[in-house]
Formats: sequence, C-alpha cells, structure tokens
Amino acid sequence: MYTFEFALQILVNGLITGSIYVLVAMGLTLIFGILGVINFSHGEFYMLGGYLGVVASSAYGVPLLAALPLGMAGVALLGIAAERLVFRPIRDRDVTNSIISSFGLAVVLQNAALLAFGPQPQLIKTSLSSISLSAFGVFVTFQRAAIPIITAILVILFHVVLRYTWTGRCLRAVAQHPTIAQLSGVDVNRVAVATFAMGAALAGGAGLMMASVFMVQPGVGNMITLKAFTVVIMGGMGNVHGAVVAGLLLGVAESFTSGYLTNDFRDIIGFMMVIMVLLFRPSGLFGRAVDRA
Amino acid sequence: MQKLWTLIGAALLVAGSVTLSSAAEPVKVGVILPLSGGSSIAGSEVIQGVKLAIEEVNAQGGVLSGRQIELVIEDDESSPTKGTMAARKLIESDGVVAIIGTYNSAVSATAMKVAAEHKVPMSSGGSTSVSVTNQNEPGNPWFFRAFPGSDEQGTQSAVDVIEVLGKKRLAILHDNSAYGKSLADTFEKVTVEAGAEILAKESYNAGEQDFYSVLSKLRALEPEAVYMGGLVGDGANIVRQAAEIGLKALFVGSGSMMTDKFIELAGPASEGFAVSSMFEPNTTNDYGRAFAERYKTRWGVSANVHAALGYDSMTLVAKAIDRAGSTDGVAIRDALMKSDDVPLVQGPPGTMAKYDEIGGVSFKIGMAVVKDGKREMLPFNR
Repeated sequence: MYTFEFALQILVNGLITGSIYVLVAMGLTLIFGILGVINFSHGEFYMLGGYLGVVASSAYGVPLLAALPLGMAGVALLGIAAERLVFRPIRDRDVTNSIISSFGLAVVLQNAALLAFGPQPQLIKTSLSSISLSAFGVFVTFQRAAIPIITAILVILFHVVLRYTWTGRCLRAVAQHPTIAQLSGVDVNRVAVATFAMGAALAGGAGLMMASVFMVQPGVGNMITLKAFTVVIMGGMGNVHGAVVAGLLLGVAESFTSGYLTNDFRDIIGFMMVIMVLLFRPSGLFGRAVDRA
Repeated sequence: MQKLWTLIGAALLVAGSVTLSSAAEPVKVGVILPLSGGSSIAGSEVIQGVKLAIEEVNAQGGVLSGRQIELVIEDDESSPTKGTMAARKLIESDGVVAIIGTYNSAVSATAMKVAAEHKVPMSSGGSTSVSVTNQNEPGNPWFFRAFPGSDEQGTQSAVDVIEVLGKKRLAILHDNSAYGKSLADTFEKVTVEAGAEILAKESYNAGEQDFYSVLSKLRALEPEAVYMGGLVGDGANIVRQAAEIGLKALFVGSGSMMTDKFIELAGPASEGFAVSSMFEPNTTNDYGRAFAERYKTRWGVSANVHAALGYDSMTLVAKAIDRAGSTDGVAIRDALMKSDDVPLVQGPPGTMAKYDEIGGVSFKIGMAVVKDGKREMLPFNR
C-alpha cells in the first residue's frame, strides 16, 4: 500500500497546500518585518481574494488566469485602505494597539462579507475543474497543479522587487531602521502603503486560487490566519525566505501526517511543530534574535 | 393643575393598554438554527420548511382560537455558546412558548438544558445525535425529535450498504462532532457484525477543506464503499476531491447530505451517491408528496429532508399548542407527547408522530441515490 507512487502523491498534495501557506505567510511576515504590525486580519485578505474571484468568474465570466491579477489588484487596494484608515493613525503608538485594531478589522471584514455575499459557501466553477492530470500515479487537477507554479512565479517576482528595485531597497531600509531610513530620504508613508499592498495582494492571490479548489465562505480567513502565523513564527518573524521554507514544510508535514499517520492529527502537527521550534529555537528556524527596543 | 394632567395622562395610558391587550396577541415560537457558518446550507433549508408550516397554520386561523403564530428567529452559528445564549434570550426576553431547534447536535445538547430548566418544549431542527435525547429524563422529555436518531440512521445505512448495495470492503470518514462520531461508531459496529471489513476509519474537523491526503490514503487501500458521517458541505467537498484524486468507490452519505446543493457542489462526481433518506420529493408517503408540491409552489425549489423535518417539527408544535389550550409549557409538552395521530411527511406511508419516553420517533428509513443528477428514492421495503 505504501508505494512510491503513494509517497509522491502525498508529497504533491503537501507542496500544493504549502504553496498557499507560503503566499499568505510571506505577506504577513513582510508586514511585520517592515512595519512591526502584527496583522490578525491577514486571513480576511485571503477570504476577500476568494470572493473577488467568485464575483469575477460567475458575474463577468472572466477566466481564472485573468481573474488572478484583477483579484490581487483589488485586494491590494483593500490593503492600502486598511493601512490608511486603521494602521497609520496608530502607527507611533504601542504595538498592542495595532494588534487589537487588526482583530477589529478582521471582525468588520468577515461580517461585511457575510452581509454582502451571504453565508452559503461559493465555488469558482471553471471548465478545467473536471480535468484531472495523471502522471506516475499522481492525480491532480489543472487548478491545483497551477498553484505551486504560480506561487513560484510570485515568490521570484517578489524577490526581484525586494532586491533589485528602488522600492524594494526602501522597504529593506525601513525594516532595518525606520528613523535612519527616513533620514536617508525614504518616505515611510509610501513604504507602509507599498508593504500593505504587496502583503494583501499575495494573500488575495492565494485566496483566489483556492476558491477554485475549495469553497469560500466568510469564515475561511480564521484558520488560514492561524496557520500563517505558525509559518511566520517557524520561519522567523520578518524573514521572507524563512516563510517560504516553513510554509512548504508545514504543508508537506500536514500531508504526510494525514497520509501515513491519521487525518485526526492533521491540524495538530503544525501547532506541535511551532511549539517545538519555540522551545528550541525561539527566533524561528531562520530568524536572528533581536532585542525588543 | 400639573397633577390633574398627570392623572388624565395616566388614565389614558391605562385605558389604552387595556384596549390593546384585549386584541388577539400572537403566540411566539422561537427558532434557533445555524443561518451562517458551516451548516448554513442546511439551516436555511430547515427554516423554509418551518415557515411554510407557519404560513399554513396561520392561514387556517392560527392556534388557540384565532391567535397567529409569530416566529422569533435566532442564528446559533453552529456554536453551543451562541445556541445557549439564543435559547435564554428567546425564553427570558421574548417569552416564546416553544422552540424549534437546532441543527447541530452539539448545540442542541446544551441549548436543551436551558429549555428544560424553564420548562419550554424544544423540537429538533435537524439535530440527530441520540446523545441529545439521552439527556431527557425518561417519561419527562423536554427535547423532541420527530424522526429517528443517529444510531438508527447509522444502523440503517450499515444494513443497506451490506444488503442492498452489496459492499464488504469499507472505509469510514467522519467529522469529529458528536453527530459524526456516533454515526461512524454505529456504522462500524453493525457492518463488522455482518462480516464486513473496515479498512480505515479517519476523522476530520468539520469545515475542513483539504481532504486530498486522507483520500489519497483511502485510494491506496481500495475500498468498495466509503461511508461519510458528517455535514453536507464537507460531504460535497469529499466526493468532489475523491473523484479528482482518482478514488473510485461508492460514496454513502449520512442524513443531511442528500440535497440539490450537494449535487451542485460535488458536480458530476455525485452520480451514484447514496444516502439513507427519510424524505425525497418522490416518496411513497402521500403526505410527503403533497408537502413536496406545496413547498415547490411556495419556494420555487424542490424540497429535501431538511425542509421536511422543519415542516414536521413546526406542525407538531403548532398542533400541540392548540391541543394544550394554553401557552403553558408543561401543557404543550404533554400535548406533544400525545401526537400519535399526527401524520408526518417523512418516513414510509402511514408514519405517525409516536414519541417514545425520551422524545424520539422511530420509523423505517429509506435510501435515496443520485441518478442522472437527480435525487431518487428507492422503495422503503427493498
């Protein structure tokens, strides 16, 4: 029963789930690393990305691949609005304020979605749904196969922006030291806007891709926020590369637990892993210890 | 002078309130159902059945010599905490005389304690687990369930899988709620006794979306049939993902999964799906078929087991209030217990609401299958 094909199928499942965790966690860790904001409403960007995808495909008949950039742009705008209205006014205060505000934002966004779209689960239906590719004993639909590929593209794009563009350099400067960055001519306000836009867009993109695989309903953000936080903690808070590795690791660990042990432990494994990491490497697998200023 | 005006004002007020109270006050019945969250599909269907029943009762003059029934609806979001709060609010603030609810067994289990404490009868809005009615004191029930419980449903499914569908190599996939667990345990016990082989018994969190890995595992074990104990949303996800992952087995679902929404969400993979069903629009029960037609006329969609049980639940409560002749909880409860002459729309022809001493009703459960994208009921005596 436990053949090589089985292991391969489990691995593929894990990479797909992991890719989603990577996208959501990358945005979360970016927002924390650069702005010091712990954003508990991040899962709602994921949820709204899913709904934008549903609206685009059912109301306007937009094909999935075209809907993705549109959805990401839409959620990015939402992220900018959130930054402007919720987080900027309290930026200079104690960080606990922004944590609590983000909880409030999460509740507002969830209930807004409930009012706007209703409680029934929705699914993006594409003609690609029923086509299942099969190779080496591994079955996967086109939508699911596309997820790791699109994730890889987004991660590379992101890395290029961060390392080689002026915007990216500004972001990294603010992450290192906001005051010195400001003295060097970086507009911190523009950085905050860009960070939220990028972080939200990544989460929204993940949500949109998943809305074609799973169903969207107003509460889907809750679990994904939790999982994203475990990934961020494991990878080191603020460490984008750590988030990529930890995200894939979590996805694969969940998949293998489900396939080889029992599905009952699937959600527990992630939390157990994070407890282990916090016990033995509190700053995350790739983080560096920083003193709280 | 001031005192005179106050006196006149008070007199007018008293006169006014006396006039008002002599008009026929509506009888308030509370409804607690999951209208948002994971069970919202089911909740919204149950409430349509309840509303149809109310409309028919009120159109025929209401209860207690001309008093209309008014529904006070609360959303429990499938949370036991919210369900209990809703029950308290309905009883203490709104003064309801009875409660229809709720759907998730875990919520019913706690909410019924509030109802029992205040002596307000509660009629199940879909909650099936016997753990709820088992909390009733024999002979003194406050929670009623006008259809068979989870142990009977699990048993009937198990018997049908072995005898009607002829499958022996089985796998079980259930959610880890009171409902899912009780179904899975009963199913396992009965099928093993009949000589079947249980290849795997896996659980999941209700509302979980990703079943790919556990289904891959089942695929490797090659079962002939997979029994699902859980809610309709998860069931639809499982069946759809199973087809995508190449798992070729017959899927057998539990009570609430046989709905059009399930077929819509599961897609073409739902073909052949079988569920132990207490009601389908083409049931051989005459009352059931007539109800299905009235429901279709009223709501424009075809009825399913959720709507049927909502209808039965509300009809029985309305009749009990009328027969009790008062809004006293104990009187209504006693009248409810004597409902053996009230026909149900669920179940085989001739099914009556004969409550046992812990508030449950027993009847033979049918089996429905999805054929050409439509739900079809097999004969009750197969």
